[in-house]
Amino acid sequence: MIDVSHISKRFGSMTALDDISLTVPRGSVLGLLGHNGAGKTTLVSILSTLSRPTSGRARVAGLDVVTRGEQVRRLIGLTGQYAAVDETLPGRHNLILIARLLGATRAEAAARADELLALFDLTDAGHRNAKNYSGGMRRRLDLAASLVGRPEVIFLDEPTTGLDPAARRQLWEIVERLVKDGTTVLLTTQYLEEADYLADSITVLAAGRIIASGTAAELKERVGRRSVSVTLRRAEDRARTVEALRRAALAPSHEEDGLLLTIPVADSTDVAVVVRAVDEAGTDIAGLAFSEPTLDDVYMALNHPTTTDSEAGTSS
Amino acid sequence: MSIATERPNPPEADPAAAAGPPRERQRFSGSGPLRQIQVLSGRSLRALREPALVLPGVLEPILMLTVFSQVFRSVSQAQSFPAGVSYIDYLLPAFLITSAVSAGLKSGVALTTELNNGIISRFKSMPIHTGTILIGRSVADTVLNAVNMVVMLVAGALVFGFDPEGGILGSLGALLVAVVLGWSLGWVFMALSAWLRKPEAMQPVGGMVNMVLLFASNAFVPTDGLPSWLRAFAEVNPMSHAITAARSLALGEPRPGTVLMTLGICTVMVAVIAPLAIRNFRKAS
Repeated sequence: MIDVSHISKRFGSMTALDDISLTVPRGSVLGLLGHNGAGKTTLVSILSTLSRPTSGRARVAGLDVVTRGEQVRRLIGLTGQYAAVDETLPGRHNLILIARLLGATRAEAAARADELLALFDLTDAGHRNAKNYSGGMRRRLDLAASLVGRPEVIFLDEPTTGLDPAARRQLWEIVERLVKDGTTVLLTTQYLEEADYLADSITVLAAGRIIASGTAAELKERVGRRSVSVTLRRAEDRARTVEALRRAALAPSHEEDGLLLTIPVADSTDVAVVVRAVDEAGTDIAGLAFSEPTLDDVYMALNHPTTTDSEAGTSS
Repeated sequence: MSIATERPNPPEADPAAAAGPPRERQRFSGSGPLRQIQVLSGRSLRALREPALVLPGVLEPILMLTVFSQVFRSVSQAQSFPAGVSYIDYLLPAFLITSAVSAGLKSGVALTTELNNGIISRFKSMPIHTGTILIGRSVADTVLNAVNMVVMLVAGALVFGFDPEGGILGSLGALLVAVVLGWSLGWVFMALSAWLRKPEAMQPVGGMVNMVLLFASNAFVPTDGLPSWLRAFAEVNPMSHAITAARSLALGEPRPGTVLMTLGICTVMVAVIAPLAIRNFRKAS
């Protein structure tokens, strides 16, 4: 559905994208993972016909984004980093406006707006001006606006950056629903966890280059930095707890005299194993947490510097 | 992160409602440029239903009118001032023109703001003509400008004793010149905005252009009283022509040549600058 072939983009002497090739099959989700300045937004702008590549070709639904931009725009929806809605208008009017521009009659536009407001849990807020919306509501309205025309392909550029966990979760569920309907999604994110949750495959971008791609599982395999951390209440419990964990085939580590035990695990089901071992040892604990690898862990595992802003700073 | 990274149960809602069935998506038919201009200009005008956004635009010229008519009243005693003309009759037609410049500047600043808040990117990613985004704004701002000017004329007549020789017809003629000038300057400032992109760059540059156009002209005082270098500029300043044209109509001594030249210059300006603005705007992202 999306086919990118050797795309490069230069701004003056700065290379924002360097020979990018990727494909996204119909109905699947590609997670484009990278820090600010990695080139994510630049790629999304090219695919959504907002800017032209310096070299290379890209096609959406078989249509070249440069020569057949007009037709491409009929098939896509774009949700950018900033909630792109008219803040001076009520939420409902924003959606009606988009529908009218797409050729809907007044009645069709109103019906579609109400349908989307209901779906996005915004019916009650529909008549309020968008500038009075919370961050999460605004993002939802923004996403709703890009779905008015029932697009085949959706570009989500950091859709949850700056959202609280509940709002993020709500947006994820909406994206999942879209995918179930057969929509193809290209999602950019700085959160490995988000790409893991939503994406069928992940491409990691750094300084305009692809440094890794594969499924979330493959990527995590390479990173392998999931762990459970257990905080003890009393130092005298430590030896006993470590021993119990070792019996459970785990390899806890701790700083000398520290109360914090770090236990690398394969996946989150191992949390239960840790809990059982701790329980068996009869240890009184102050805290227990499971941590997923982060984007920084990915960069580190791929032996890539984490700060790339000096090399490619214009993606956003 | 906590343990909460497990997937929750998939939502139960009917997925078909979100984006239509997977294969046959019900799609809207697309719209023509006229519909796009109508919808987009309607958007800009609707946003101005909020009194907080409309009042300053109306009050500012009235406030300035008050200040200027009181502060500069003595100018009408100067030798170079046309005899038998009251200062308000002399000032108000010029004021229509100066508020046309401010209105044009506002179009440009508003456009830079929207270029940066993402709404323009949304429009540009849709199957509509890029030019209609600018044309829609131009139409809306021109309508708004005309309404503001009617308010000024009415306030001038009721409060400040504006009662020129040219009567209602002459005043409306002056208003027409001002509206046409505002329309063309709107395009100039939108072109500037598409080129500068950032509101913080647009505001000072626009402000400087605005100030030079306004004060180096015959808007507030006759050019005869200016130092020679400033007079030379004031006399080639297109603003001066527009003001002379508007004034001549309001004061009942129409100068068809100047009026036609002003309208002609404005139309040529739009014909040249609008395509440039649209081209620049298309590239900006």
